[in-house]
Amino acid sequence: MTSTTEPHSQHGLRPGDPPPRRRGIFMRPGYLRASWVTPLFFLIGMYIVVALRALAGWDPVYDWEYIVLIAGMVTAPIGFLLGMGVFDYWLYWISGRPTVADDHASHGAYSWKDYFKVNTDHKVIGIQYLVTTFFFFVAGGFLAMLFRAELAEPGMQFFDTQTFNGLVSAHATLMIFVFIIPAFAGLANFAVPLMLGAPDMAFPRLNALSFWMLPVAGALFLASFLAPGGAFATGWTSYAPLASEQPFGQVFFNMGVQWAGASSIATALNFLVTIITMRAPGMTFWRMPLLVWANFTTSLLVVIATPFIAGSQFFVMFDRVMHTSFFTPDNGGYVLGYQHIFWFYSHPAVYIMVLPGFGIISEVISVFSRKPIFGYRLMAVSLIGILVLAFSVWAHHMFVAGMADWLRIPMMISTLLIAVPTGIKVFSWLATLWEGKLHLSTPMLFALGFISTFVIGGLSGVYVASVPIDIHASDTYFVVAHIHYVLFGGSVFTIFAGLYYWFPKMTGRMFDERLGKLHFWLTFVTFNLTFFPMHWLGLDGMPRRVADYAGTYGALNMVVSIGSFVLGASVVIFAYNIVVSWARGPVAESNPWKAMTIEWQVSSPPPVFNFDEIPQVVGGPYEYGVPGARHAVLRGGALQEAHA
Amino acid sequence: MSDIPISGGPHLAGSHPQEAIPHGPPPANRSSRLDAATLGMFLFIASEAMLFGAFFTAYFFVRVVNPTATETWPPAPFEFPVFVAGVNTAILVTSSFTIHWATQAIKRNDRNGLRAGLVVTILLGSAFLLTQAIEYAHVGFNTGDGAFASVFFGLTGLHGAHVFVGLSLLTIAAVRAFRGHFSAEHHHGVEIPGIYWHFVDVMWIIVFFAVYVL
Ligand code: HEM
Ligand SMILES: [Cu+2]
Repeated sequence: MTSTTEPHSQHGLRPGDPPPRRRGIFMRPGYLRASWVTPLFFLIGMYIVVALRALAGWDPVYDWEYIVLIAGMVTAPIGFLLGMGVFDYWLYWISGRPTVADDHASHGAYSWKDYFKVNTDHKVIGIQYLVTTFFFFVAGGFLAMLFRAELAEPGMQFFDTQTFNGLVSAHATLMIFVFIIPAFAGLANFAVPLMLGAPDMAFPRLNALSFWMLPVAGALFLASFLAPGGAFATGWTSYAPLASEQPFGQVFFNMGVQWAGASSIATALNFLVTIITMRAPGMTFWRMPLLVWANFTTSLLVVIATPFIAGSQFFVMFDRVMHTSFFTPDNGGYVLGYQHIFWFYSHPAVYIMVLPGFGIISEVISVFSRKPIFGYRLMAVSLIGILVLAFSVWAHHMFVAGMADWLRIPMMISTLLIAVPTGIKVFSWLATLWEGKLHLSTPMLFALGFISTFVIGGLSGVYVASVPIDIHASDTYFVVAHIHYVLFGGSVFTIFAGLYYWFPKMTGRMFDERLGKLHFWLTFVTFNLTFFPMHWLGLDGMPRRVADYAGTYGALNMVVSIGSFVLGASVVIFAYNIVVSWARGPVAESNPWKAMTIEWQVSSPPPVFNFDEIPQVVGGPYEYGVPGARHAVLRGGALQEAHA
Repeated sequence: MSDIPISGGPHLAGSHPQEAIPHGPPPANRSSRLDAATLGMFLFIASEAMLFGAFFTAYFFVRVVNPTATETWPPAPFEFPVFVAGVNTAILVTSSFTIHWATQAIKRNDRNGLRAGLVVTILLGSAFLLTQAIEYAHVGFNTGDGAFASVFFGLTGLHGAHVFVGLSLLTIAAVRAFRGHFSAEHHHGVEIPGIYWHFVDVMWIIVFFAVYVL
């Protein structure tokens, strides 16, 4: 870890030193080098396994499950990262050789090709994150359409049950671990340093490493379809002991989660250090934009909670490959242990998946209503409230799991309590809108759409938080409806809002507003068409994660399936709009939305090093319509008038 | 580095030109007295502590919550080598003092003290790992022998992995120390692995008491 601020060693290259020797094309960091280092590291991993097995006298020496696990999921990905050049600087540093202190050679993108290389510029990394996660979003959506085809009618049409479960599981896993969570990291990567008035993140090289671990995770999840026995099929929750007795595809989930988790812990740590140590002068905590606050709390959640899912997946894997009995009852293991450990991460994780979105919505609502955020401090404090409460509610996922009875009521009460800070946020957005001058452009439409759908999701959450209702609704489509109202109508809408909002800043171009609006309305309508009927289906008793169902549910399921196909098609409009606008859209001004936060005060796209001089922050971030109010002063011209 | 374009590049061809920047990034404002790399290490340690937390939770479930938990720990006829582990504890605690000595030495610009301290610490850490490996070989049960063994190998193995990581960090510091890096002003590269090493040490004491003593 080397920070940008840390003075570099006195042994760095001096201006007079001869330039480093240029390396041959197979030795330069990049895909060519990765193409031979990756297989080399696979072989290394393989022979480690083989040597150990030969030494211990185990039969067979070539045990392919172990080889794929160690060589394919651990050493080969490390070889890939090494080949791409993620570790180059560190290796120089480690070996004590001269390092070019902060040469910024890998900073900034000068052609589209630079986005496919290791880069340490937070703005480039942000865009790399967003494009990669969008790819996984499309892949996950495609899987959903496959199983919705199966579910359109009762009876078994296209897939057998194991394949069906594999599709459902991979869909949820891709969406959660390699789309929603990292997409927020991508948006924040782009926006947070700019908003803070920082030249970059605290650890730019760690930032690059975090990004490059992500494709590894996604590739593992997708590769599970090639495993004998098919993809992992135990849902994104992967309950033990079932998961330790599944075909080999399960291990791809166990290990993919480790890579995704390592990536998100590293980013979170980076955000925390950046926010604590690199704020511009005058940027006190109470002057930080709410997006920064949101990512601060989210990062705390990630750092504290994510190790628990890492642990839970290690245990499941050990139970499988080392025959331990963490969760197998016949040998002294504790079956429910998995669910406790898993949900101790995964309930906080649902806030990891929505708090950054809250931040985005706060930015958008305030800018497009031309009003200060209502109750700014309370907005920040309620984030902290959610952070603390998030750790006290995990067992609401286990009301019907046979856990200790006395845990039910406390967990129900703490769960209902979380609705309070969440409600504060919703009311504060509404109060911000009240009597504002609303500009209904695409980001704002998604923000308003978010509020309406998220409220429905929050309400169904309160239903299932009540033990008596949950006993009836658990494991039915009612829960599926809840999840999608909070995760699609919630998180995904905020991601779209953020993408449209920062698109001009990221690319220097405007998107097509008409296509944006079309995308919103199509998404909004078909989203409700797809997921609202699931409430009824669930209350009627249709179980989730089952390939076939009773004929009475047929009509509604057909509606759901049709809705889901149109919903999938609406993404094409979005992709078309983004690609065409990025290439040929009209040039964006530096501040098309007349926003006050610092990222809008620099050019679009921002200069490679963000600022010539660190800005001076002089006021709050949301003083829209307040005469004479300023948030920040930049050298070479004060803040543009940002009042309506 | 003349081959680096001077101005902020447009992201796609055809975007409008940028203001020229004649230099690298402006130095970031330091908004906290905390040093970035040290803070990063503390956050990393917090995360690591939670990973241990997950393993201790599994321990707690197996040993306390589980209705089928056995009276004795470990269940008869198995036994944990408490004495060996005690010796190992002494080794690791000593190594905390030696790394402390190393960092104190470089603060006085005493490079030889730094090198000696690092080498001794690395030797002690390696001795710990070696002892643990031998202990595994002679412990008399295997990972498949029940939940108590899962927890035993889980906690001690996780800790062993951390010793390995700590040793790697210290080795890096040692390589750099022997190549003449570090001085009274610049010794982050020793101090930060040192913090990690202390963490590994404290964690061992907890593991030792939970697994072997209690
Ligand atoms: C007012 C706030 C909320 C309450 C009271 C609440 C409550 C609950 C409860 C009790 C369950 C368990 C249902 C069951 O399995 O029987 C549940 C499931 C779930 N909730 Fe929420 N929730 C809330 C908000 C959220 C938010 C904001 C998200 C994500 C952004 C979320 C994501 C999920 C997910 C993914 C599941 C299903 C997990 C699975 O696959 O089993 N919830 N919620
Ligand atoms: Cu929950």
